[in-house]
Amino acid sequence: MAANFWTSSHYKQLLDQEEVDVVHPLDKEKGITLEDFKHIKMHMANYIWKLAQHVKVRQRVVATAVTYMRRVYTRKSMTEYDPRLVAPTCLYLASKAEESTVQARLLVFYLKKLYTDEKYRYDRYEIKDILEMEMKILEALNYYLVVFHPYRALSQLLQDANLNDISMTQLTWGLLNDTYKMDLILVHAPHLIALACIYIASVLREKDTTAWFEELRVDMNVVKNISMEILDFYENHRMITDDRIIAAFSKLNLKP
Amino acid sequence: MEKYEKLEKVGEGTYGKVYKAKDKESGEVVALKKTRLEMDEEGVPPTALREVSLLQMLSQSLYVVRLLCVEHSLNKHGKPLLYLVFEYLETDLKKYIDSHRKCANPRPLPPSLVQSFLYQLCKGVAHCHSHGVLHRDLKPQNLLVDKDRGILKIADLGLGRAFTVPLKSYTHEIVTLWYRAPEVLLGSTHYSTAVDIWSVGCIFAEMARRQALFPGDSEFQQLLHIFRLLGTPTEKQWGGVTTLRDWHAYPQWEPQNLARAVPSLGPDGVDLLSKMLKYDPAERISAKAALDHPYFDSLDKSQF
Repeated sequence: MAANFWTSSHYKQLLDQEEVDVVHPLDKEKGITLEDFKHIKMHMANYIWKLAQHVKVRQRVVATAVTYMRRVYTRKSMTEYDPRLVAPTCLYLASKAEESTVQARLLVFYLKKLYTDEKYRYDRYEIKDILEMEMKILEALNYYLVVFHPYRALSQLLQDANLNDISMTQLTWGLLNDTYKMDLILVHAPHLIALACIYIASVLREKDTTAWFEELRVDMNVVKNISMEILDFYENHRMITDDRIIAAFSKLNLKP
Repeated sequence: MEKYEKLEKVGEGTYGKVYKAKDKESGEVVALKKTRLEMDEEGVPPTALREVSLLQMLSQSLYVVRLLCVEHSLNKHGKPLLYLVFEYLETDLKKYIDSHRKCANPRPLPPSLVQSFLYQLCKGVAHCHSHGVLHRDLKPQNLLVDKDRGILKIADLGLGRAFTVPLKSYTHEIVTLWYRAPEVLLGSTHYSTAVDIWSVGCIFAEMARRQALFPGDSEFQQLLHIFRLLGTPTEKQWGGVTTLRDWHAYPQWEPQNLARAVPSLGPDGVDLLSKMLKYDPAERISAKAALDHPYFDSLDKSQF
């Protein structure tokens, strides 16, 4: 939405990992662990992505929606802010903020349609619930809706490093999409996330980028740490089964 | 919304009414902008959302009206409503110019004030542009003025970045064409920060003349007004102009002497104005560059 990250509200809102990894007391009471919390958010990010494919919005809208959702849960509990309503509402709000409005009616239609292959009952909500939740989310976000994503930086950096062939572009783009399954966007500046994706991809594809990274004058420790986090995520990802997510959801004891 | 006491309706914005109100606790006078309700199937209007999020980002500048907070409440039918709470400024540039023209004692605006207002306007526009935000609807009504302190601030960012500028606003008030850049009038689909600079130029001239420079009442008329003063644009002056969507064969006018349209401006003022009213958007001066123009040399910039 705007060009300058360093003067944006996004920059001022970056959090420390410790601030992000806090399970709300209300959820803790119900036995939600930090792992459960992360799993549910990942599941929601996947769900938002799936829903977005049906209503046909750009990747950018999905990324913004997921960022909103993750910000909401740094401040609010899942007990009070039902993930099954927060997920579609974040997509609804992001579509407006990114100027490609999706009608609430259409969203609700797909919530119900997708139910046939969902075990999480996303279908119990109606238009009025989404509109109500929209206001609550706006307040939770303190009306800060401008979000910067690493996509633009990624393509610029790839070009600069002369790595913008199809194989590297696809690999880094895929890695970047996967970072939204984590909280990285709340913690790190977008270009650092983009650099971490390039770093991982260049190791996997055996490209020598050492000299290029040196010239960038960025803190390589930060880039490497982000890369490690992404790799750790892939490592653990295999263990996150559907059953574990359903178990986490059931602890929340949400209305059927 | 019990926090505020509505004092009077002061205007109608792009998407709703604006009230002057008082914070009951602090006594602070604020402007309340209510979002329209009519889109009850679609919640908060996207224009309002965009304005809020842009303002959250831009209102750190002294030259953009400050958003104090956002309040949400329910109307009498239980539908959600959004109020934007702004700092209150008593008047706008349109009313201010009118007060120098339509009164018992008509007089020009003091030249030093025209200079200072234009400088503040360029500051605000440069601030928006540096954040990648176009205003797209700059006009005297959207510039709030504190006349005692000589301060001018940009308001009404509701159209910021909207893709097309509508001819009619939601309130059926006709959107004025007077400040619209020729590339917009000619149907260009790719426009840039230069559209705001054109508007700034028109506003500059209007402060000097106390009446609008190009008061057209249709898009066609608007173009003729511009062409009559600045000459009908040619391919040589503005490459690609004849390929724009709404280009037609227009009467061929020769450019007039711009200085005669703004007799109260000195040569530096006329030079800056001519740079803001360049036909080719790529040649139009930027807001940032305008701040360094010799026209402002005599201004005490330390106060800004």
